[in-house]
Amino acid sequence: MSKLLELKDFRYSYGNIQVVKGIDLYVEEGEIITLIGANGAGKTTTMQTISGLTPASGVSGVIEFNGKQIQKLPGYEITKRGLIQVLEGRHIFSQLTVLENMETGAYLRKDRKGIREDIQKMYKLFPRLEERKTQLGGTLSGGEQQMLAIARAMIGQPKLLLLDEPSLGLAPIIVKEIFEAIKRIREDGTTIMFVEQNSKIALNTADRGYVMQTGEIILRDTCENLMNNEQVQKAYMGVD
Amino acid sequence: MFLQILISGFVLGCVYGLIALGYSLIYKSSGLMNFVQGDVLTLGAFLGYTFFSLLKLPYLVSLILTVLVAFLFGMAMEHFVIGKLLKKNVLAIYVVLATIAVQYILQNSIQGIWSTKMLSYPQIFSVSSIKIAGVSIQTESVFCIFMSFLCMAGLQIFMKHTRFGTAMRASAMDAKAAQACGINTSLSTGISWGIAAGMAALAGILLGPIYGVFIMLGSTIGRKGFAGAIMGGYGNLIGAIVGGILLGVTETFVAGYLSSTYKDMIAYALLLLFLFVKPTGIFNERAISE
Repeated sequence: MSKLLELKDFRYSYGNIQVVKGIDLYVEEGEIITLIGANGAGKTTTMQTISGLTPASGVSGVIEFNGKQIQKLPGYEITKRGLIQVLEGRHIFSQLTVLENMETGAYLRKDRKGIREDIQKMYKLFPRLEERKTQLGGTLSGGEQQMLAIARAMIGQPKLLLLDEPSLGLAPIIVKEIFEAIKRIREDGTTIMFVEQNSKIALNTADRGYVMQTGEIILRDTCENLMNNEQVQKAYMGVD
Repeated sequence: MFLQILISGFVLGCVYGLIALGYSLIYKSSGLMNFVQGDVLTLGAFLGYTFFSLLKLPYLVSLILTVLVAFLFGMAMEHFVIGKLLKKNVLAIYVVLATIAVQYILQNSIQGIWSTKMLSYPQIFSVSSIKIAGVSIQTESVFCIFMSFLCMAGLQIFMKHTRFGTAMRASAMDAKAAQACGINTSLSTGISWGIAAGMAALAGILLGPIYGVFIMLGSTIGRKGFAGAIMGGYGNLIGAIVGGILLGVTETFVAGYLSSTYKDMIAYALLLLFLFVKPTGIFNERAISE
């Protein structure tokens, strides 16, 4: 398997404050990887910097995607290369309809027929989006917005899908539904890396995991091993 | 009398509407105000005069060239002034101040390039007036209304029904998410500023033949356009047109039936009234901070 994404000694600073302090991680093609850790560990900064959505002046180290360095590229260029992110907090276009939101996800594509087919595929994955296709994005519930955010990203045909806190603020039953969909997307062949505060569901979903704490990666292992790790159980899974 | 006043009210109102659209577009895309709008109208009137009257190009060609030059001016201004300041993370109010600086630089440059004298366009159409319901109306006025509506409708279709227009609305709503969708958000912001300037210049080349071309042509109109945008609901594209026309027609009727001395006073009193009673404007745009 080849490495689709690789971070080498990646650091990020806001002014003088270093929030990510030199981390190494990789994602192989076909894998599903999770990055867990407490609030303020630097997970979201890492994710948004991979996608080119933080000011590039704060980056040092190397981010390689598909064998090419991307750490200085603007966000839209990174999306063009097939690395697409579902942002933390969903970031739905509130004044666009559900369908327009999805079409915006297809902004870089020219194949109208393919886009239509992919939208249908997403309706199959999230039937509620079809029911609400003419509604404005801002009128959806949190769970539906998360579904829309995932659908919008998938219509961009990512090679690597990044998801930042897909469970944030959602009821347990919806979280389950979202993660079922994530697993299905992976089975269909999309490589996935996601950040998650709900460590239990994260480790149950992913193949491998990285544990991040105050800007550093303190543990890296298969999810099975991480689940049995005492430190992980104590700090992140509420086991005493 | 009534019809004539109504038509000239519409001419003025359409011009305000075009300016107001520019204000709203820039507010939506950048969250800013661009006080150069009025002087771009002046620029448009002078450019049009130059292409049409001095270089003897056909009027429609002059019109297209004028709009094109202004579009590039707007994009350049966004790229070299506004974008540069925003990258330094300065507060929005300083960027707005910078637009006022650009306004005076532009005004003075126009004065330097052309002249401080009033210029007038030669006759554009072979028929100088059209009879509507027994009243003869200046052809240029009819053309001004027609072109304004065409441009407003074109903008609506572009924004609502094209891929790029939807992308522009998306970037205005949420720049980060738009980037993640593969949209070059700084380009789409630049294009918004370009369109705003293009519409202001269009207003200039439409109004120049009716009002004459002089250095201060755009400054009052620029402020009135701003007022029109607020009345319609600041940031709302349809509201900008309605607000602009409402203001133009009201003002012209006050001037026609009461006194032209008080037309500005009444126009701005109307603005204050809106700010107090209905700050969200006719189309209920968000106006109160949460």
